[in-house]
Amino acid sequence: MQIYQIILIALFVYLGSIGSVVGNTIGWYTLGRPLVASLIVGLIMGDVQTAVLVGISLQIMYMGNVTPGGAVAWDLSYATYIGVAGALVFGKGLDVTQVIGLAVVFAGIGGLVGQIMWNVSYALNLPLNRVAYKYAEAGETKKMFIPNLVLGQLIGFACRFIPAVIVLTSMTAASGQGDFASIIPGWVTTALGVFGGMMAALGMGIILSFLLKKKYHVIIFLAGFILVTYFNLSTMAVAVVAIITAILYYVANTSISSKREETL
Amino acid sequence: MKKLSEKTLKKSFFRWFFWNGCSQQAESMQGMAFGQSMAPVIDELYEKKEDKAAALRRHITLFNTEPQVGAICNGVVCGLEEANANGSCTPELISSVKVALIGPTSAIGDSLWVATFIPILLTICLSISQTSESVAWLGPVIYMLVYPLGTGILSWNLFKLGYKSGIEGMQGFMSNGRMNSLTDTMTVLGLIVVGALTASFVNFTLPIQIIRDVFDATKGELLTNQVIFDADKIVNSIFPKVLPLLLTLFVYYLYSKKKWSPLKLMGLILVLAVILTFIGYATGFYA
Repeated sequence: MQIYQIILIALFVYLGSIGSVVGNTIGWYTLGRPLVASLIVGLIMGDVQTAVLVGISLQIMYMGNVTPGGAVAWDLSYATYIGVAGALVFGKGLDVTQVIGLAVVFAGIGGLVGQIMWNVSYALNLPLNRVAYKYAEAGETKKMFIPNLVLGQLIGFACRFIPAVIVLTSMTAASGQGDFASIIPGWVTTALGVFGGMMAALGMGIILSFLLKKKYHVIIFLAGFILVTYFNLSTMAVAVVAIITAILYYVANTSISSKREETL
Repeated sequence: MKKLSEKTLKKSFFRWFFWNGCSQQAESMQGMAFGQSMAPVIDELYEKKEDKAAALRRHITLFNTEPQVGAICNGVVCGLEEANANGSCTPELISSVKVALIGPTSAIGDSLWVATFIPILLTICLSISQTSESVAWLGPVIYMLVYPLGTGILSWNLFKLGYKSGIEGMQGFMSNGRMNSLTDTMTVLGLIVVGALTASFVNFTLPIQIIRDVFDATKGELLTNQVIFDADKIVNSIFPKVLPLLLTLFVYYLYSKKKWSPLKLMGLILVLAVILTFIGYATGFYA
């Protein structure tokens, strides 16, 4: 990777992390999603097609990683930007499933760094409370942005940008050591492909933990599953069916509850 | 009578919308961000330094919600501060209302918006990207436009709703059965889509097969290396993709019932993948 590519990607790692300057809606929830991140990395590295292909798989895997502050919070942007970049750098000459397998491994490495740095920034932010308290005590309404925005961002930037540059630079250095496609033994790339396919279950499993609230909900989940396996519908077609079902469900549900109110 | 100007409200909203997560930590969570968002409001409502200080102090304390849907809290608190400046509310009430808002807004925000709307939108964009390689870029582009714009509009309207109708309005919004119906509906939508995603994306094959040389009696010749038993094919002919389904449900069980961390689950999947690969090579499934 060129230096400008490393700096640009590291910058996006920061922007897509929790609480960056562009806000969680544009940052964490948009730039931090693997699908979006892969397009950006693809544009920076000049290979959009492969990047998005990898991004789709990572997106499924990390579908469950949504809530900052929740149980699965760590900086996903690390996993996705570094995962896609790593796959593009090392995956030259490999076929698609193997490139995806590589992306999974690099995303794992990035994710680990992300988890550590998330905890570091969480701890470093603590003393900011003292600063905020001091300004509040003095009634300085015009200075309340300093602890939250200025200091919080300095810590956030340092915890994301710098480690990302280090990881990306060492990746580039490692890739210069030889042609990885020929060094990696065949069984490793096979295992990576198998791993990548199974990892999708992780994202789906975590999302299910948000959605399965009643016992019969499993049946609705199975309905979506069977529409694909038995009826051979595409996911897009199932999404349309799902929207129609949901609207009917909503209408039925509200009309039942309003009837109940009338009889009371 | 003091009244907050539209400009101040917008200032307060945008500070929250963009910088709600800037200084998240374990002590006050989003407290400092909330304080920053309330600063222009406090500046406009109170004259005396002591009043400003007291107001700022009560807004840098612990606050934590799903910030996008939770913008309604900021709206409600703006309304309450306005009432307080006019003498018709008390600081104690403001603080207790704020704490009371944390639970319901984060529950609705997390389950309805974050855990349901985002996956559904992502799924639709994923399917668009998948339709053909030449339009793969279209999925992420649509997501980048729809999600921030849609969320921004939702957030601003919830903020205004909170400010205008106050705590009563918010109770109305959340307690009439409509909110529950909406959550249920989104759950149904999400479940169907996640079912479809599981079927299309989770791969889990059973790489066990037996290869033998078979003697074809009708032609009288020896056929070499014929697959006479393929475990994966047999399993799939009974119920297509049953293994990916079981794996997903197993991960769900470990994550939500046994409280395994995602990292631990990743480790388990890695070990399983390596074992399966070895079995596959041993039986000749992977050549």
